[in-house]
Amino acid sequence: MNVSVTCLRPFARFLVPFTLQRRKRNLYPIILQRYMCSKIPAVPYPNKENSSPPAQLELDGWKTTMKSSLQEESVSTVSNKDEDSFAATRELIEMWRLLGKEVPEHITEEELKTVMECPSKASKKKYLKYLSIKEKLKKARQMKKEVKAIAREEAKKAKLLETTEEKQQNFLFLRLWDRNMNIAMDWKGAQAMQFGQPLVFDMAYDNCMNSKEMRNTVSQVLESEGWNRRNVDPFHIYFCNLKIDSAYHRELVKCYKQKWDKLLLTATEKSYADLFPKDSIVYLTADSPNVMTTFKHDKVYVIGSLVDKNMKPGLSLAKAKQQGLATQRLPLDKYLQWDIGTKNLTLDQMIRILLCLKNTGDWQEALRFVPKRKHSGYLEVSQYSQDFVNKLKKTKTFSSYPQNSLNVGKQKK
Amino acid sequence: MAFCLSGFRSFPKLWKNKPYFELDPGHSSLCFFSPGYCAIRSQQRWFSLKTMSPQNNKAMDLLIANTRFLKKGDKDHKKQVSSDSSYLFAAGAAKKRSLLTNLQSKDHALLKERSSIQLPTKPLNSEEWDRLKEDFEGKANFEDWISSQMTQCHASIDVAKSLLAWVAAKNNGIVSYNLLVKYLYLCVIHKQTSEVIDVYEIMKSRYKRLESSGYGLLIRGLIHSDRWREALLLLEDMKKVMIPSKKNYSDCIQGALLHQDVDTAWNLYQELLGHNIIPMMETLKAFFDFGKGIKDDHYSNKLLDILLYLRNNQLYPGESFVHSIKTWFESMPGKQWKGQFTTIQESGQCLGCGKTLESIHLSPEEYEYLKGKIMKDVIDGGDQYRKTTPQELKRFQEFVNSCPPFDIVIDGLNVGKMYTKARDSQVLLNVVSQLAKQNLQLLVLGRKHMLTRNARWRKDEMEMIQKQASCFFADNISEDDPFLLYATLNSGNHCKFITNDLMRDHKACLPDVKTQHLFFKWQQGHQLAIINRFPGSKITFQSILRYDTVVQTTGDSWHIPYDEDLVERYSYEVPTKWLCLQRKT
Repeated sequence: MNVSVTCLRPFARFLVPFTLQRRKRNLYPIILQRYMCSKIPAVPYPNKENSSPPAQLELDGWKTTMKSSLQEESVSTVSNKDEDSFAATRELIEMWRLLGKEVPEHITEEELKTVMECPSKASKKKYLKYLSIKEKLKKARQMKKEVKAIAREEAKKAKLLETTEEKQQNFLFLRLWDRNMNIAMDWKGAQAMQFGQPLVFDMAYDNCMNSKEMRNTVSQVLESEGWNRRNVDPFHIYFCNLKIDSAYHRELVKCYKQKWDKLLLTATEKSYADLFPKDSIVYLTADSPNVMTTFKHDKVYVIGSLVDKNMKPGLSLAKAKQQGLATQRLPLDKYLQWDIGTKNLTLDQMIRILLCLKNTGDWQEALRFVPKRKHSGYLEVSQYSQDFVNKLKKTKTFSSYPQNSLNVGKQKK
Repeated sequence: MAFCLSGFRSFPKLWKNKPYFELDPGHSSLCFFSPGYCAIRSQQRWFSLKTMSPQNNKAMDLLIANTRFLKKGDKDHKKQVSSDSSYLFAAGAAKKRSLLTNLQSKDHALLKERSSIQLPTKPLNSEEWDRLKEDFEGKANFEDWISSQMTQCHASIDVAKSLLAWVAAKNNGIVSYNLLVKYLYLCVIHKQTSEVIDVYEIMKSRYKRLESSGYGLLIRGLIHSDRWREALLLLEDMKKVMIPSKKNYSDCIQGALLHQDVDTAWNLYQELLGHNIIPMMETLKAFFDFGKGIKDDHYSNKLLDILLYLRNNQLYPGESFVHSIKTWFESMPGKQWKGQFTTIQESGQCLGCGKTLESIHLSPEEYEYLKGKIMKDVIDGGDQYRKTTPQELKRFQEFVNSCPPFDIVIDGLNVGKMYTKARDSQVLLNVVSQLAKQNLQLLVLGRKHMLTRNARWRKDEMEMIQKQASCFFADNISEDDPFLLYATLNSGNHCKFITNDLMRDHKACLPDVKTQHLFFKWQQGHQLAIINRFPGSKITFQSILRYDTVVQTTGDSWHIPYDEDLVERYSYEVPTKWLCLQRKT
């Protein structure tokens, strides 16, 4: 850890000769025991600094031992400013760890660079906390793995002791379930590619997101694709506006690896407006004024694939407005007693809801996938319509547009 | 009856807050201000509360739960402005409004899980510490926990020292860094400089580098000693990895001033400004306090620069700082400054000296600049589709340019929704017709859904409105506030706008702090907020400030607004108290 001495500068005396901690097991305990006598007269508050209590000697024993650690006469001078700040950052993190702050134990060069590029102290701490949580999870997984391995070993041993005679058994199938499932899913996927209903993921938001949001989005896209693959009647997924070599594309290829070219979906640089007739496209966005009442099997639904953590409302609505597309939002208020949280759902929740609607058409069933923490239960539809009627009664005009009387509250923030 | 009134005190919340009794907001807040009425009202209420005794907490909670539920529905009460505060943006106004309209949430002070351990008040020996450790039942590490408790309670350093001695005895004389830092904190709190230096020596010998909190504490501790220059070295060390905080700079500057090293202090101050950090008021106060005895033109010019810095960044000194400023001015030899604390009349005249303060109005260049910025950042914002559409924007601009300049621009939806009980279109019509009688050119902004007939918007009333004022209706999914801002700015300096919206989200769209200050200044001078509590009465507006609340000078006088210690000022409010300084000639 010590930076080697390269040159002596005239200002070397400013650089305080810090040395590294050396584990020294010498006579400290003995010295201490001499200092620590068991009778300590109670002098709670010394009034003056100089009037040291009689207990001072015993109390200050630790200082001598702390100071008397080996003094290495090393004058660390700066050879390379860049390297120095690297080392300094590393040491800062180490000291934070000693202080009990949430920082990782081991840090790679790349991560260290990221830390140094963080503009503020707060962002440094935030990133380090993220790394430390990641590290803890990794450790926990490792532990679990080891425990499992030991358990398996023991089970094996037990089995070996048990099985003394070979028993002839008859089976119908070999155990190749996973492979068969994959093949079956691929057949279905191929079918969907030919005859399935299109579902578009709009990938044009890569410049609105920072790297963290981007990572989250990609993992959500992966999950969505997985849910779709397992369904009885999958969608034919399109990744539209996916520019080759954009951040999005790189991330996806990085996650899927060699599977990327074998995926049964359509990834294209084109826009959905070029692929499908405009009047069949419906852009799903939580900001839309129109509520989706039924799932139409002849429409092309577009989901904007973005994670919006820094509150840029109305991005996807603006896009749909610009292209003159129809927009819809899920009828969350109609069916759920909404509590907290934004009404933007994650991409995988969206696709599961849509798949469920496609197969059953039952909203209650489909909205199972809305996180339970966000609502306090289902609204009775009868109750909703009751409220609706009451509202109309209040307005005393049954002939008016229900849309408007409903939306009055929403018009103004 | 007697009983009720005796118990009256114990229920301040109950009668302060309207939703319990489902009166409209007007009533309850009005009883705040008219004592006669208040008495009658509250007695009536006490009839309804008779059955409740202070012990009946369950009923209380139920009531509170109900009000919470009710509160969800009536958002617009929040915008009601108390008729007490004279001015929408005055310091403390928001606090008052929130007291009027919100429940003071009951302080469910969750009692912390206190361990049964009593903090020792005198140094313990190792056996006693051992015993204490055995008594401790918690998940945390005992040493960490007890030292944290000590720092919280500012225990005496001898107790902390005995803890460290005990820990060192257990671990071969080694005390871990976090315990050292906590001990250092105690030393700094108790101003035990010699101890600080001891710990400093230990840290120097044990560690190559420290981290921010350790450095910060050492700096704060060392500046009072003779070795204060080493605090500057520590600051240099910090700079290698991060920008030091304003507190670190503040400590170093104060250390330099303590030891009469003025140049170092100013250099550090310049460095701090160079990092775009806003200095602590304490730092600036230290310069003024130090300058009291100094007869040095150079130094006093620098102090005047600090005042100009406050002006340019719309910062306001606190009460103690403003006293320091006053003392410094009055201590200047041969200049005969005289300071007094005062307030400003509505006309913008200082009560102390009668001088008129700077006008709230923007200069023509600032005005044009702000107009451009509103257009570019608030309405357009890089994507015209987000708040409106290009077609609509074009339609709006053509409409605005085809009309003569307006005197008043009205936010139709905000005004219409002032009262929950009254019909929107009727409220709006009432406001519009009252203003139209004064021969003002009006513009009403709204959304298209106001034109479709329904219970809240009656067609005949809307037609009446359109007769008396020019109207522009934006799409239902567009925002109307940016149009309001632009229309007002476009009409010129005489034009005002009516809304009770504080426009904070639009202010936040502006790119930099300077522009936001400009916007706020313009808003203070041009926004009319309605303070009526009942529909149908003659409308009255919040008075508009005529003067700008900012540090200002005319050469031989200074006017400095300041924050009082006991008033909570929100970020969109300005102070009301001033320091007026005059030079005797």
